[in-house]
Amino acid sequence: MNKSAFENHRAQQLLLTALRQPENLSILTTMEWDLLLRIARRARVLGRIEVSLANSGQLAQIPAGAANHLRATRNVIEHRKTLVSWEVNRLLWALRGIDVPLILLKGTGYLLAGLPPAAGRIFADVDLLVPENRLPELESRLLAAGWFRTQIDPYDDRYYRVWMHEIPPLRHRERGTEIDIHHRLLPKTSRLASDPDTLFANAGELADPRLKILAPADMVLHALVHLFLEGDPGEGLRLRDLLDVHDLLTHFSDLPDFWKELIPRARGLGFQRPLYYGLIHLQQMFATPIPATVAGELNGLAPPWPIRPLMARLISLALLPEHPDYPRRSAAIARWLLYARSHWLRMPTVLLSKHLARKLWLRIRGARKRIDLAQLDLKQQ
Amino acid sequence: MIVGDLDQQEFAEGLSGVGLCIQFGPFNLRIHSNLPTFTHVAYPLYAPYPLFPASQLIDFHIQITSPPGLRRWVRRQACFALDGHFPFAPYAVDHAFPALEWGINWCIATRAHHLLMLHAAGVERNGHAILFPASPGDGKSTLCTALIHSGWRLLSDEFGLVRPEDGMLLPLPRVIPLKNQSIEVIRQFRPQAVIGPEFLGTRKGTVAHVQPPLESIRRAQECARARWLIFPRWIADAPLSLTPIAKSQAFLLVATNAFNYEVLDQASFRLVAQLVRDCDCFTLIYSNLDEAISTLDQLAPNCQ
Amino acid sequence: MVLLPAAKALIWQKWDDLYLVYQPSSAETHVFNETSALILASIERGPRPLASVREWTADRLGLSADDLVPEEFDLAVTRLEELGLLDRGDDTIAAE
Repeated sequence: MNKSAFENHRAQQLLLTALRQPENLSILTTMEWDLLLRIARRARVLGRIEVSLANSGQLAQIPAGAANHLRATRNVIEHRKTLVSWEVNRLLWALRGIDVPLILLKGTGYLLAGLPPAAGRIFADVDLLVPENRLPELESRLLAAGWFRTQIDPYDDRYYRVWMHEIPPLRHRERGTEIDIHHRLLPKTSRLASDPDTLFANAGELADPRLKILAPADMVLHALVHLFLEGDPGEGLRLRDLLDVHDLLTHFSDLPDFWKELIPRARGLGFQRPLYYGLIHLQQMFATPIPATVAGELNGLAPPWPIRPLMARLISLALLPEHPDYPRRSAAIARWLLYARSHWLRMPTVLLSKHLARKLWLRIRGARKRIDLAQLDLKQQ
Repeated sequence: MIVGDLDQQEFAEGLSGVGLCIQFGPFNLRIHSNLPTFTHVAYPLYAPYPLFPASQLIDFHIQITSPPGLRRWVRRQACFALDGHFPFAPYAVDHAFPALEWGINWCIATRAHHLLMLHAAGVERNGHAILFPASPGDGKSTLCTALIHSGWRLLSDEFGLVRPEDGMLLPLPRVIPLKNQSIEVIRQFRPQAVIGPEFLGTRKGTVAHVQPPLESIRRAQECARARWLIFPRWIADAPLSLTPIAKSQAFLLVATNAFNYEVLDQASFRLVAQLVRDCDCFTLIYSNLDEAISTLDQLAPNCQ
Repeated sequence: MVLLPAAKALIWQKWDDLYLVYQPSSAETHVFNETSALILASIERGPRPLASVREWTADRLGLSADDLVPEEFDLAVTRLEELGLLDRGDDTIAAE
């Protein structure tokens, strides 16, 4: 094993052990903390490590410098939680008198339903799923109540409206939180079928009857679809999203029919592959308990050889963050390949090549990737 | 051990190897650079700052280096990276030093949310601090630089770091970037001030960095409590005036200018309200540095 | 008109004739004048009809209900409702 491979392996094991056995975190040396903070930040799981430490009363036993970073992360997370919850509150107010089901997706759903993945997770936007035929009414009501369509270029606007599963994000003129309104889980063009009607029929209700969350099996499947099909070429697959699924599976496993329904539901929605990849990697990385009956059926969902070992290798490479000082080309390529694959699954080929070519061009121009320091609100003179 | 204990070659080798671990107030930085344009400027300016041992946690792993891959042969550029990520467009290689200093600001502003970060300069004397909350173009850096060369200790030129647990100010005595006319003003005011080379045509115009007095750097771990909030404004030929300002206005000026007031939720409100309650709040209009300093000096003995 | 839970959690700091108010539910800091503060105070102990809030607020400001500039009062109520601090309840229909 060369130096780079060795250092990457060491960093990744440190991270996985910290996530699997947080009860041992207080024995780490300062130098191990140093590396863990860097790699956990890259995987966006710093907040989760903070919560594990706080819950087990270990925060006072770790190096003060590390505690500062964790405190900073907690502060940001708590703040985002407040903003997301409040945005939903204001949304309900703006939509008063309209009886429309709003399914809270991803982080928003975990937070408002008090589900385990919400702990220590950073929340960016409010994600909603609404029936497609109610969209115009909803959008116009929000636009009248102070929300506006965020500035995006005409290419992106058209891309959203014609091909995507959501409308361009809305933001209230006085607040920073974006609302992403979806009308299906995957783009209309996707090769994976996804019929949104059954999602509404199965959805669970929260305290306000208009607020809903996906049924347990649907929620797990959506988290996996999001993980494998909504990547970012630079970031790869988000380990944090896989952890969400771990938490959900652990939480729902007490429900009597949860496991029995999961595979049939995956077949019904056309999400067998994401379920297969997800469960295989969950077992490997987090030793997530999966009933023997389900594990036995998994092979039936698997892709044929040689796709199977190839995908397993690519996914591992893309899921685990790299050591910041020893980046490897293989991981960068894996991230790019999986990104291209996720787009292939979401779009017809002609459109895909147009879209990727444009994204690549933007990358070369540096339009999205890098920011001019002078534009940042650093409040410098 | 301080940076100045290394000779310039050791300094350059340390930076281009695994990097040097330099402490700036509450932050430990590992800086890596392979650019002579950086090391030549940084060596004299960073000389008094402490090096910290490898057993301590590093807050920011940063680098200012030539572009990766083939680009380095095409253009001579300096790229800033944090943890292997390059968040900004490259800089001209001659501007490597200001680029790194701005990069450090960015690291602090985007990461140090365990502290309330006001946008303010701060100086201290006899255990009592003046905070000068910023608004663009008000010359807070000039006034701050003049004060620290007149018996006041530098807390910080850019970040008013407030510790949420007790409201104390944490010093961050980094080099001070002076802009445009301020450079000449300070050269005239204190010819012995240690000022680095002038960088022309940066995004902020001409910039030169002043090294804080050694005592400020030595006492970088000594916290202070704010006693005055002063909103300075330089107006050519204006007579000096120190006028009390309404607390509500002081609150709003401090809060709306902070780097992370929003992020700390209720703690920010509590801390800024406490700060404004505890401090005497003034606006200071001045045209002459000596006059401004003697006015501020007169505040200090009153609180012994 | 009824006070919402978000308003009960507000943190107040009065300086001069202004109130700096922190709202934990939204992480926002507001600046309220006397009128806004009084409107919230008027329904602290329980709901009241809009007219009664107007009268009470005017009285506390040392004005008669007619002297309280209607625009200022209505604007304050609308704003407080937008901020999620009060609900006009049945008065909403009348107002719209």
